[in-house]
Amino acid sequence: MSTEARQPTDTATGRGGTVFDIGYRNYTGPREGRSRARSAVFKDGIRTALALGRGARAKILPWSFIAILVFIALIMALMAGAAERYGGPGVAEQLNLPSHADYYGIASIVVFVFAAVVAPELLCRDRREGVINLYLVRPLTGSDYIMARWAAFLTVMVAAVWLPQVVLLTGLAMGDPAPAMYLRDNWLDIPRFLAAGLALAAYATTLAMLTASFTTRRAYASVFLVGLFVITTPFTVGLASEIEGAAGQWISMFNLTNIPVHVNDVIFGEVSTITSVAPARELPALVLVGWYFAWTLVPGSVLLVRYRRLTP
Amino acid sequence: MTSTEPLLAAENLTKKYRDVVALDDVSFTISAGITGILGENGAGKSTAIKIFMGLVRPTSGSANVLGQNASTTVSVRARLGYMPEHDCLPSHVSAAEFLTHMAEVSGLPPSTARTRAADTLRHTGLFEERYRAMAGYSTGMKQRVKLGQALVHDPAVVFLDEPTAGLDPVGREEMLALVRKTYLDFGISVLFSSHLMADVERTCDRILILQGGRLVQSGEVGQFTKDTETVFIEVDTNRDQLMAALERRGVIVTADGTGLTIEGPDESVYDHVRDALVEAEAPLRRMAPRRRALTELFHREGDIDSGAAS
Repeated sequence: MSTEARQPTDTATGRGGTVFDIGYRNYTGPREGRSRARSAVFKDGIRTALALGRGARAKILPWSFIAILVFIALIMALMAGAAERYGGPGVAEQLNLPSHADYYGIASIVVFVFAAVVAPELLCRDRREGVINLYLVRPLTGSDYIMARWAAFLTVMVAAVWLPQVVLLTGLAMGDPAPAMYLRDNWLDIPRFLAAGLALAAYATTLAMLTASFTTRRAYASVFLVGLFVITTPFTVGLASEIEGAAGQWISMFNLTNIPVHVNDVIFGEVSTITSVAPARELPALVLVGWYFAWTLVPGSVLLVRYRRLTP
Repeated sequence: MTSTEPLLAAENLTKKYRDVVALDDVSFTISAGITGILGENGAGKSTAIKIFMGLVRPTSGSANVLGQNASTTVSVRARLGYMPEHDCLPSHVSAAEFLTHMAEVSGLPPSTARTRAADTLRHTGLFEERYRAMAGYSTGMKQRVKLGQALVHDPAVVFLDEPTAGLDPVGREEMLALVRKTYLDFGISVLFSSHLMADVERTCDRILILQGGRLVQSGEVGQFTKDTETVFIEVDTNRDQLMAALERRGVIVTADGTGLTIEGPDESVYDHVRDALVEAEAPLRRMAPRRRALTELFHREGDIDSGAAS
């Protein structure tokens, strides 16, 4: 509101300039309310997940996982390309080398560890450092906050699982003697891997965010999640192989890493390498998809309720 | 909201947490300026602020801010600022980046948010340090960032919860000066919650005193201390005779060390003092009006309350 002027003089030229301190200026521009608030939390979530704007050390973890996911796809594409080149056209298909339908099964454990390590960064730090108290006093509700954070991490996860499939598609097409023909024959793989990738990302994001909502320590959430995914796999696989019939199938359903892979199988219409030994594969598609939704929607609802009730 | 409407209005506000009554049928209004909410821990200060910000729903009664209920109209929070007492700053980002983000979360467009963040940091005295990660900031610097994030979106009213907590004497002076500047220079009304009476007395125009969830006093700070004005009289001899002479004239007087204190004097009391001095033949050494500090007043209220309870 106040305006002060100082007049420094250039001693060399003898000319003077005027520096104005225009004082405090009230803001009279637009206020974009909740939509801008949600968008800001969403953008910040993406930056946090990918460590954008932070030092090189902070970037190592998220980008290493993305690199590993792409590397797996690259290896698969190179294997198929080599088979075609040295074995002749159609050899890759005859050898039943892993392809789009198998990728998510093979890479799922890396996807889950990625979610376990990175997702807590979006929630735990805000609560541990008290920043959440500043979000909740702005034109933003707890539900807005958690949905924006969830959407941000889902976006990162979707990009992280789609990118390798695009690399794989490019590799397979380039390895084929007739790339255009390959794309024409296999174009249906594109919507399939997009849908299956979205399912995998939504599942991993929701479980990881829910776990992170119970602790302020990122390490605790990460260790719990990695343990959950890594331990349930051998436990359920071992138990399901001992118990036959419906009971074995249902025990197999509790293999948390396989839940979205079964959906992947339903989408592609074929059993992938990873789930080919899981008794749950024999259950009807409706049950497998319903089970997936139960494991995604229930944790998602719990997460929403937890943040809706949050007050500083 | 019209200019005559109060910024904040509480009407029969009650908040109960199971058996604990945090606020008990409290009614008050707050208009533009710097208002202090004074009370000990657990008096209901933070609960009142949370209700005004729409974060906690009252058990009964109403609390409006800028003419609206912030729990049902979330958008009104875009015109409110809040500086919490406890730590709330991310350690790994710079003050400039953090304030820009907070301005956006308050609804400002990104390009404006950056400009506002830089301006606000300059006004709060952190311009030179704004690109450094906040992990390395001193307590005083962190308090300035906390104030900055509450002001970055140019709110109509800002809630400051113990803004001088943890500051050394110099930092405290600077923070209180910033609080004054927030209203006088920036035109942003302030609700200043504190248990430090000296801070409130020096900074605020008006105060509300909460005790055990009830509003025990409210009004202008100057009026508070004026109402409790006393006159101190010291005489060389015949103090007891002077006291008796004053009492005969209906003046409320108490012995105070070597002198006498007259409570709540009006203009006529000085005539009574003159006459009593003559009657008691007491040589006057000193006579001076004295106002109670808010601290003294607050303790007196506490004594009254505890006395009533027993």
